[in-house]
Amino acid sequence: MTMTNGADYFIITIRRRPVWFWALAGLWLLLEILTLQTALASVQEGEARAATISWIAAVVLAVVGVLAWLRLGRSQKLGESSERPDDNPSLVEHQG
Amino acid sequence: MADYTAAERTIDLEDRRKQAGRRTFLKAGGFVAASGALGSLGALVPGVSTGSNQRKRARWIKVVDRPTLGETNADYKRFSGFDMFALYRPLKNERDGAGSFEAEQASKAKRLAEWTNEKKPGFSLPDRHLSEGAFTVMHSAKPGVGLLSWTRASGHTPEDSGTQRYTASPEEMANTVKAAARLYGAGLVGIAPMNEAYVNLQVPHREQPHKDQPEKGALQKDQHLTARQHDGEHPSGEHGKEQPQTVQPPQDMNIVFEDTDVPAVTDTKFVIPRKMKWVVAIAIPMDLDLLSRAPTALGDAASALGYSHSAFVVSSLAVFIRGLGYEAIPSVNDTAQSIPFAIDAGIGELSRLNKLVTPEFGPAVRLCKVFTDLPMAYDKPINFGLVEFCKTCKKCAEACPSRALSFDDEPSFKTKGPWNNAGHKAWYEDSYKCYQYWQKSGSACGVCLASCPYTKGDQAWIHEAVKATASIAPAADGVFRIVDNAFGYGKQHDPEQWWTKDSQFGRRG
Repeated sequence: MTMTNGADYFIITIRRRPVWFWALAGLWLLLEILTLQTALASVQEGEARAATISWIAAVVLAVVGVLAWLRLGRSQKLGESSERPDDNPSLVEHQG
Repeated sequence: MADYTAAERTIDLEDRRKQAGRRTFLKAGGFVAASGALGSLGALVPGVSTGSNQRKRARWIKVVDRPTLGETNADYKRFSGFDMFALYRPLKNERDGAGSFEAEQASKAKRLAEWTNEKKPGFSLPDRHLSEGAFTVMHSAKPGVGLLSWTRASGHTPEDSGTQRYTASPEEMANTVKAAARLYGAGLVGIAPMNEAYVNLQVPHREQPHKDQPEKGALQKDQHLTARQHDGEHPSGEHGKEQPQTVQPPQDMNIVFEDTDVPAVTDTKFVIPRKMKWVVAIAIPMDLDLLSRAPTALGDAASALGYSHSAFVVSSLAVFIRGLGYEAIPSVNDTAQSIPFAIDAGIGELSRLNKLVTPEFGPAVRLCKVFTDLPMAYDKPINFGLVEFCKTCKKCAEACPSRALSFDDEPSFKTKGPWNNAGHKAWYEDSYKCYQYWQKSGSACGVCLASCPYTKGDQAWIHEAVKATASIAPAADGVFRIVDNAFGYGKQHDPEQWWTKDSQFGRRG
């Protein structure tokens, strides 16, 4: 979302991403939720070792996910500088 | 606002009302959507109530026509009733010399006293008496008397109230009885057909009421145990109340089936009417938090509590069934083998432990049952892949401190001693070794129950996912066993922490 100097409107850019990206993101989110649930439930069940392993897995998964997101997002952003929304039909512009 | 005219104010209020209505509508819509999403999520999470009196079982538990370990041969007959509790003393004296049992008991008592004085974790005075307290109800439950009376213990029959006995379709009857059992504390309930082969031949003398029981002094030693007290026969004139009954039979008493209308307990035998063709098999979940502290006196409280809960559930259910106008015989470990009835009723499968393992609670259950002539729809056995899992896993056998459990790959007909009921395919256990370890450890052990990969809490989704996968893909069983170890499941928890823990985790059901 950007705001042109002096303009009284925002430009919201929705970038189209490939299907595999969303599938991967969905899978990551699901795994993250399940790992966190296991970690919290293991604490409740008094299973210290299972809880520790699950917490570590959840944190590692979260870090990997964030890094992957940033990396993919950055590469998209660099690509964006060479093209304007008008030049690329995949970039849809909304005004409001 | 003060500058508004009445009309403007009305219009403004109308707009606000409309806006508020839209907001309310959107909020309500959001709430409904969120509830729906949570409900869907709840259905995926194990342990979420279905809102019914019946426990809704997972889809991966398949109903089958025959039990997975149901094969029998010509050796299969009614069990003597003499289990390791009855056999240990003569066996010990036979194997290690006369007086060895008494010496072992004296040594155990001395050791326990030392551990208690030293405040050994799991054997402190509070630890030991927690278990004793938990066993209180069961202590007063002997077959045929008190809580486990075979006759009308209390309450009224329909005749007492001037009404007819309760009738409904077999399915409705089954649901009614299961709902009552669940209310009284049953974790799992199933209906099995009566099978006389599962009923013991005798009630050992030690299981019978004796002079330090609550019924002490009520009747003479050789007096006939009362069967049902018919109307008008009670000296107090109370209608349908049970007479106080006690006896000190000098010998083991036979259990027989006869064509009678009511169950009876005489001075020589226990009589089960042949018309009792239905058995309500019940599993009571044990407290996992306590069980995880085994083998200690503290861990024993899990079993003790399970037994007391069992006695309460079956005695309550028997009174309920009698109130509907039918006969009922409550039973915990006495009178008959609980495991085959529970298998036939679809509560679980026979495992490497030679005990029942349920899909929901693993082997951490206490079993009990009620025999009745109340017609109900029978349940069927189940298969959730346990036998295949047991073939691969062997974790219980490795965890057993006395090496009493079988390491054989396949179940067989080969028994380990007179404590086993021969004639059915199983992984037979060496109960002598097991019970000897009880004496050594000063506890009732329970490590095998705690170590089983099916003994899990109901909080984490992963447990349900693993069990579901194991039921359809036995190839993954070995991996699950490795992961189970890696996650540290089945290891003993610190007994000292039990008294100060703030976790609510424990009893399930």
